[in-house]
Amino acid sequence: MQESSRTATAKIEKRSLSARGNTLRRLSPLATVLLLLLIWLWISDREIISPILVPPPADVAAAFADALADGSLAAHSFTTLGEMFYGLLLGVGIGLAIGYAIAKAPVLEHVLSPIIVAFQSTPIVAYAPLLIIWFGTGPASKVVTTAVIVFFPTLVNTIAGVRAVSPNLLDVMRSLDAGRWQIFRLLELPAASPVLLAGLKTSSTLAVIGAVVGEFVNPQRGLGYLVTSARNRYDTPLVYVSVLTMTAIALSLYSLVALVEWRCLSWRRRSLN
Amino acid sequence: MKLSLENLAVAFSDPQGGLLPALGPVSLAVGEDEFVCLIGPSGCGKTTLIRVLAGLQAPTSGIALCDGVPIARPMRGFAIMFQEANLMPWRTVLDNIALPLEVAGVPAANRYKTVRALLPLLQLENFDQAYPAELSGGMAQRVALGRVMVQEPQVWLLDEPFGALDALTREKLSLELLQLRSRTTQIIIMVTHNISEAVLLADRVIVLSPRPGRLVADVRVDLPRPRFPEMIYERDFLRLAKRIRASIDEISG
Amino acid sequence: MRNRILGSLLLVCLSVLSVSASDQSILLTFIPNVQFSPFYVGIDGGYFEEAGFNVTLEHLQEPDVLDLVAVGQANFGIVSGEQVILARAQGRDVVYVFEWFQRYPVGLAYSSALDLSDLSDLSGLKVGIPGRFGASYSGLTTLLHSAGLTEDDIEVVEIGFNAPEVFCLGEIDAAIVYVNNEPLQIRERAQAGDCGAVADVDVVSVASQVDLVSNGMIVSRDLLADEPGAARRMAGALGAALREAIDNPAGAYLTSLNHVDDLPQSADFVAELQAASERQRAFLAANPDRAAIARSRQDLAEALAAQFEAALLTQFNVLLNTIELWEADRLGYSDLASWEAMRETLDLMGYLDGDLGDLADAFTNEFLAGNDG
Repeated sequence: MQESSRTATAKIEKRSLSARGNTLRRLSPLATVLLLLLIWLWISDREIISPILVPPPADVAAAFADALADGSLAAHSFTTLGEMFYGLLLGVGIGLAIGYAIAKAPVLEHVLSPIIVAFQSTPIVAYAPLLIIWFGTGPASKVVTTAVIVFFPTLVNTIAGVRAVSPNLLDVMRSLDAGRWQIFRLLELPAASPVLLAGLKTSSTLAVIGAVVGEFVNPQRGLGYLVTSARNRYDTPLVYVSVLTMTAIALSLYSLVALVEWRCLSWRRRSLN
Repeated sequence: MKLSLENLAVAFSDPQGGLLPALGPVSLAVGEDEFVCLIGPSGCGKTTLIRVLAGLQAPTSGIALCDGVPIARPMRGFAIMFQEANLMPWRTVLDNIALPLEVAGVPAANRYKTVRALLPLLQLENFDQAYPAELSGGMAQRVALGRVMVQEPQVWLLDEPFGALDALTREKLSLELLQLRSRTTQIIIMVTHNISEAVLLADRVIVLSPRPGRLVADVRVDLPRPRFPEMIYERDFLRLAKRIRASIDEISG
Repeated sequence: MRNRILGSLLLVCLSVLSVSASDQSILLTFIPNVQFSPFYVGIDGGYFEEAGFNVTLEHLQEPDVLDLVAVGQANFGIVSGEQVILARAQGRDVVYVFEWFQRYPVGLAYSSALDLSDLSDLSGLKVGIPGRFGASYSGLTTLLHSAGLTEDDIEVVEIGFNAPEVFCLGEIDAAIVYVNNEPLQIRERAQAGDCGAVADVDVVSVASQVDLVSNGMIVSRDLLADEPGAARRMAGALGAALREAIDNPAGAYLTSLNHVDDLPQSADFVAELQAASERQRAFLAANPDRAAIARSRQDLAEALAAQFEAALLTQFNVLLNTIELWEADRLGYSDLASWEAMRETLDLMGYLDGDLGDLADAFTNEFLAGNDG
């Protein structure tokens, strides 16, 4: 027992030592962004590439300030975010449900896999126009394109996560006469959560793609519309503003899921240290 | 509480579609307060027998009864401990031990109180917030033992619970089990490979034949209680151990 | 120093990407279609080659066509006049050198049962439009303005490029359409009894109300400075090819078959077109006047309609209709008034916010045949 407590203390020491390395690691993406910004400044300053294609950062900043001031950027972002939110809700929800069913009843995989593989291997841009015709030109069709694109990673990760649940732990739960819901809540959900959250990280960035593809195919509102409309007015700085906003949204969502992951999976971090 | 097995047999289906007999037929009666050790060569169906009693495995023929009631699913009052600790890596020691109470619907405050009262006995007082990956193998098995004890079972089903541990830790834990045993009066059925361990702990040692396991010897251990590790050097102990060794050699030869 | 080396490396990369003298891309919009037949005639008929160009056609989005020409990645592009105005207001110095469509191709289609001889009767009606963008939206704005109406007086329904379907379902009273294409489709449906209560359609074109500058060829200001001769030769070749397509639609359709995958055809139809094309060549050799040539096109349309089923003729009829939008005595010529009218429309739409400069800089007629001096 003494030996065990000694190993535990050693682990704690190791953890505090790696804290400084973590800070450095966390700062390095910032340095990359700064470097890219510098390259951008240099390219536009020397007009190495025509300002029609690469506008100076100052112009983009001004366009950003304008779009922010008149509320248009917020309004379009909000539309896109809304489509993403409901798309994620729908796609992740259905992905979880079908994924769980397939993991528990492998015969379903044989029945469903042709449809699912066909759906996944066909590029969404190819059938997005069809979705617009089926679900109308309103936000519903963009919600559906988002749902379709986030469905697959959720499905695959749910199947992998639930199948990876240790049969020994399943025996533990069964020996306790646990019900289906208890097995799901106390065993399968937490056991699959690392894989599920990894899937959700992928889905959160894909959600931006889904919503924007829908908005490109049928430009009405949202950041995809803003890009199209800015492009059609030859307002390159506003195109940059829209694209960078999409990037920011994707990154924020990704970080949000990463944060949830960090909090939910603290046991994993401690176990790996 | 009484357990009885009547012509119990289990067979598994093989990939060719045939049946592979794993156990039995075995008939056996275990009375109140008995500590029974099952011993036999690898693959003789000891684990299968334990799983049938735990309600995790249905018999192919024959029947397992508890007080006359067939065991068809996990029974109230039965608790099983596996060869591995089988802890949930995302739960702390405290929550792992409390799992059976949570499944039974005991409110959080009550279940933590119960578990905390057990921790000193398990020598885990300072590790209630540790995660399984931070524990040594012996400590993890203690947590698994705690998860059995917290159920206050009337039938303990122990499937080679110390098999995965090194010899020293294993001996230490057997002794702890022995101490616990002196305080309890329930049925314990334990699978082991170790003859000394069986004789030291059990009231009865059942020897099973190689696959499919059949009962070849039923040896009553009439050593006095309480028992101590030093007993393994005594004549009565050695006599029993030799007898068991002989029945094992007989079936293997 | 290092900066300069990197910079010149990038410049080398860019200049490798840009086009050499004889290999030229003409950037078009949309997808390969019979409406681009003058360009197919220009290639297969050797007009571009004679002018010293080895031409490839590429199809892109309109803003991309414009920007690629503006930065010199390509020398020639085909866009609508409104795009030239919008882009010039945002600092793209492109110049429009040849007006291909003499008449603005957009119009309003409505059931013949409806009397819209006075356009202000549009008030209160449901009008379908692909979306609030592009030539359709400019066309609607112009039509409404010429009738003394605004968008608030009607109900605008965004329907995508589905005018025939939505119109025949009775969900809209009128639809903004390309006059050379969708009215044909609606009429075919109506005659087949497949268009609800609609028996026939009438069309009021934007061109009948206002002369708006339409699709044409653009080049960059740099090309005009460096190689004015190239612009002149290209405009000349396009003018000659366009004239041949206008004068011999049967031949233009046959040429288009080499470039457009899904054009309707059959052995009989192709044989008939080949015969018609030969006859037309002989007829043209006698230098007939423009009116006689126009009549020859009508005669051909009637003769074909008597011989072949409508489905086979759809795209040929689109070509004939489109020729009416191209036809003019002086091909390629655009005047300041049509540019002013377009600017006014864009102003009405609230699309003009940059500094446009002098509208006369946006186009020139100096490279057209007959302006050689």
